[in-house]
Amino acid sequence: MEKEEIYERLNNVFRDIFDDESITVNENTTSNDIEDWDSLEHINLVVAVENEFGIKFNMNEVTTMKNVGEMVDIILSRMN
Amino acid sequence: MVLTSLIFAFFCIITVFVYFIVPKKIQWLVLLVASLIFLFYNNLTISTVIQAISILVSSYIFGRLIDKYHDNKKSKIFLLSGITVILGFLIYLKYTNLFLITFNHILNVLNVNYQFSYVYRNSLIGISYYSLIMISYLIDIYRGTCKPQKNILKLALFMSYFPILNSGPFVRYNNMEEQLYKKNKFDYDRMCSGLVRVLWGVFKILVISQRLGMFVDTVYGDLNNFNGYYTIIAILFFPLQLYTNFSGSIDIIMGVSEIIGIELPENFNIPFFSKTITEFWRNWHITLGAWLKDYIFYPLLKSDFMQNLNKKCKKMFGKKTGKKIPLYLSMLIMWILIGIWHGGAYTFIIGTGLLQFIYIFLEDTLEPVADKVNKKLGINSEVFSYKLYQVIRTYILFSFSMIFFRAISIGNALQIIKNIFVYNPWILVDNTSLYKAGLDLQDFRVLILSLFVLFTVERLSKTGSVRKKLFKQNVIFRWVIIYLLIFSIVIFGCYGVGYDPAAFIYRQF
Repeated sequence: MEKEEIYERLNNVFRDIFDDESITVNENTTSNDIEDWDSLEHINLVVAVENEFGIKFNMNEVTTMKNVGEMVDIILSRMN
Repeated sequence: MVLTSLIFAFFCIITVFVYFIVPKKIQWLVLLVASLIFLFYNNLTISTVIQAISILVSSYIFGRLIDKYHDNKKSKIFLLSGITVILGFLIYLKYTNLFLITFNHILNVLNVNYQFSYVYRNSLIGISYYSLIMISYLIDIYRGTCKPQKNILKLALFMSYFPILNSGPFVRYNNMEEQLYKKNKFDYDRMCSGLVRVLWGVFKILVISQRLGMFVDTVYGDLNNFNGYYTIIAILFFPLQLYTNFSGSIDIIMGVSEIIGIELPENFNIPFFSKTITEFWRNWHITLGAWLKDYIFYPLLKSDFMQNLNKKCKKMFGKKTGKKIPLYLSMLIMWILIGIWHGGAYTFIIGTGLLQFIYIFLEDTLEPVADKVNKKLGINSEVFSYKLYQVIRTYILFSFSMIFFRAISIGNALQIIKNIFVYNPWILVDNTSLYKAGLDLQDFRVLILSLFVLFTVERLSKTGSVRKKLFKQNVIFRWVIIYLLIFSIVIFGCYGVGYDPAAFIYRQF
């Protein structure tokens, strides 16, 4: 899967979770850029991403990923 | 070993001395021996040795097995087995009576004329800490974030590192691995910095906490004679007493560890400046909160059960409300566990568990309402006065919950709450009554002054380490401050009944 496609699908997940159709994520997007992205919403987001891509993050990845770029790297490594 | 006792001071001096004179290769062994002495000090019995060895050996074996069968379903079985052994010991040693109390209540309700008698279990110091620390060690290996320790003696040091046995902080193997076993050089500046932190901790405990404790103990110990404003003052004193004792102990622990050259994670971040209970708990006993978040709260929220509940609730109540329900349920479970962790009695489950959950639940649900009310009334919530109101409100809410923490039973707590409503404001002004509850006028003066010092230092620490600032000052100023700290501990410290040089010295004036 190409990175672009992952970002495309991630945009949909983010828009759904945060109820905001204007969200467009890139590799540098962090929780500071999205108002409702707190530590609790983070878990819901992670689970939604897992379901979207049919992968599992381990708990360490969940708590340490710093931006969307790192999330995408993990998704890529799992899918290939 | 009490942290403010001379024996602990000697113990630390000897440990540090030996640690830095032995060959660097065996430095960690010195720490291990010291830790074992601390662990078994006054409590060396067959039962306590079996407890410690069982937890150590099962962590060691299961840790290695989890790693060996990584990517295999067996690893989960080994993880669960390891956790079961450790939790089994913890529950047996600390919570048997909690079950017995519950059974007895049920028997009472059912009108059965039988009561279980309570048991005494001799457990080692720090069991609530090292059992959770070893559980996190196993989970971290399972999650692949750390490798198991192959030397069981080194693992024993991680489990029993003496500074953390008394009151934490919770450490993670990842952060300790390098530090505990490395070759360490003596560093004079580091020692001075550590010593100042130890002194600061001793000051907090002996000058402030013990003094507040004399008042609180008197009032809580004699509910018939001390009520009304005595009770209100004692209730408001107790969180400060607890904080200065707990954070003072942490200061001593971190200071000693700093002298050795091992950095521990901070456990407090000026909690009484918090504007909400939610924020308060982010700044109070930080490492316990982090432990629960990583090993219970997040996994719980992420579990299939909670995610399914999430979906169902979203369908039933709409997206916004629906997603809150699994969140609150997970929070409730976590707060009950925090309550239980604090002690095997219902007073702890209410005081440090349920009430905190209710506060945070109300804060979360009422916040939008409060915002609307403020907007309508034109109240500016960004100004100092409003923030001060929030800080005071948080303190009062926390103080109320601590009634249960401090009381010896729920009935006792309810009696204390009832005592609040006795009307006796004259005790505040009649010049004698207030000084009957364990503290005299001198004590109150010392208290006010030392609390002023405490909060000034805490305020200063908002912009960086106060000790670093102190060590940047000129040598004269630096030593004046250090001597003032030492003398105030010697003169104004409360050393307990029968040994009270402070009382002797400053009552002369």
